[in-house]
Amino acid sequence: MSAAEQSIPTTRRRRRVSVADRLGLTGLIIVVLLVVMAVFAPWIAPYDPTERVGTPFQPPSAAHWLGTNDVGQDLFSELVFGSRVSLTVGVVAALVALLIGTSVGVLAGYYPKRLGAILMRTVDVVLILPFLPLLIVLAAYLGRSLINTIVVIGVLIWAGPARIIRSQVLSLRSREYVLASQTMGAPDRWAIMRHVLPRTALLATGTFVRAVSGAILLEAALSFLGLGDPIQKSWGSILFWAQSRGAFLTPAWKWWVLPPGIMILLASLGFALIAFAMEERINPRL
Amino acid sequence: MRRLGLRRLGQYVLVFGVAVTLNFLLPRIMPGNPLALIAGVDVGLMTPDERAELIEQVGLNRPLIVQYFEYWKSILTGDFGFSYRSSRPISEIIAERLPWTLLITGAALVVSAVVGIIVGAFSAWRRGKKSDLTLLTGMISLESLPSFWLGMLLISIFSVQLGWLPSFGAVTPASDLTGWAQVGDVVEHAVLPTVTLTVLSIPGVYLTMRYAMLEVLGEDFIRTARAKGASERRVLFGHVARNAMAPVVTFLAIRFAFSFGGAVIIETVFSYPGLGRLIFEAVSGRDYPVMQAAFLVITIAVLVANLFADIIYPILDPRSQEE
Repeated sequence: MSAAEQSIPTTRRRRRVSVADRLGLTGLIIVVLLVVMAVFAPWIAPYDPTERVGTPFQPPSAAHWLGTNDVGQDLFSELVFGSRVSLTVGVVAALVALLIGTSVGVLAGYYPKRLGAILMRTVDVVLILPFLPLLIVLAAYLGRSLINTIVVIGVLIWAGPARIIRSQVLSLRSREYVLASQTMGAPDRWAIMRHVLPRTALLATGTFVRAVSGAILLEAALSFLGLGDPIQKSWGSILFWAQSRGAFLTPAWKWWVLPPGIMILLASLGFALIAFAMEERINPRL
Repeated sequence: MRRLGLRRLGQYVLVFGVAVTLNFLLPRIMPGNPLALIAGVDVGLMTPDERAELIEQVGLNRPLIVQYFEYWKSILTGDFGFSYRSSRPISEIIAERLPWTLLITGAALVVSAVVGIIVGAFSAWRRGKKSDLTLLTGMISLESLPSFWLGMLLISIFSVQLGWLPSFGAVTPASDLTGWAQVGDVVEHAVLPTVTLTVLSIPGVYLTMRYAMLEVLGEDFIRTARAKGASERRVLFGHVARNAMAPVVTFLAIRFAFSFGGAVIIETVFSYPGLGRLIFEAVSGRDYPVMQAAFLVITIAVLVANLFADIIYPILDPRSQEE
């Protein structure tokens, strides 16, 4: 391994880093644009997405850039406002996952014997359970609301981050400065807060960004199955209505089906690219 | 090794136990009428007598712990219960649906394995070059593709605009096709769902293969092979690719399990009558017993796939046995 690394000329290495950085920058630009769209939605969208502002099933026109849906709501305005739901669910669900994942990861890594063994058993169970069916079962019992969507996604995606953070903590806990603070009688809490947590921050941020990317896709899938919040329309629920009204069997697919999917793809990809660039910094694989 | 195997097995038993327990607990602790959540019926439409009879039938009047053991007993004897909505035993419904899901997930697995392995190997061989970076970026983008959207687009393009392939179901309804015509009909219906599942699986196979190849490329025996004067092609396919297979096959087994879950969405888009579509139908029709049974069957499939991966790994990579 080391021999292979030594043989790599430095010029090539520098170019490689810049590829990951360029991808990360692309992701960052996408995310910033989407956030701007979500924050300024009322100013960008020409209509209130919940109002019936035109005749149903209109093709795109100057008044309605992406036409209207089956009840005469403006599809472009729905698309703009949809960014709010998708980004909120993505970020908050990933925060929930990060909170659980980091706590479990740090505890399991710092106390690897009994507590760690139990926690990692739980992690393995969550990782093996069939994810999407369980998501649907939970969502079906809990009922449809934004909070429930967030909770269901959050409690199902924390296990991956927990495992990654644990392995980092496992190596940190035997470093000299941790041992030193233990020898001097500092409580575990102090060693964790002062030495362990700050050094897992970068890794945790990386897993958080990746979790946002995944959560956005999951929210879209749930909404597409009709299990999302019935009041707040997301990109997934626009596609749910497009599907149930058969829009993809008519020419309407070009303005009703295509745009929301592109938005989901962009949102998920934007975060995935940032995560990729961060992971590349921590553990180069290019 | 033996101990490791036993621990793994214990873990799978634990997962199965958790799945069964979740199935048992969820309808009983969730807000709402437990009778409606367990039997999947409209309680409001029933007379008090009917209700009492149903409560007796599903055992809700017994202590919780007794119900729990009863539930385990029925699961272990292969009795998945009864769908009150469609008045049929659930095992019958599942036996009808399972083969369709196996067909499309199996076909998608084979195609994505072939494509992912070849492209991944190529990418690793061209490491850092433009072709590698283009492929890598493309695959990362594919991972962010919403599966249902891809399915809808494929229908819009290939079924509606071009009219090449059917967009709905697994066979042409009410057609008395036999022999090869029937096989052709089934294949025609399976193409689009399979393509969708395949496109979703390829990035994972590709990334695993590429990474595994890069790991192996750094090993000493590759240098030895090169030093011996083996041709670049022989090194790549005879040594590197062969040794990179173990993680890839493991990934494929787990990916197969994952596709089983992902089928929920794809089968819904294509109205494909598999297990995944069954979960969706059960959820929208509030047929909770069917939903639970389908969830359990998918869990079992996932565990079998994981077990398969555990068995095959040491065979493909004998070094792992030395631990």
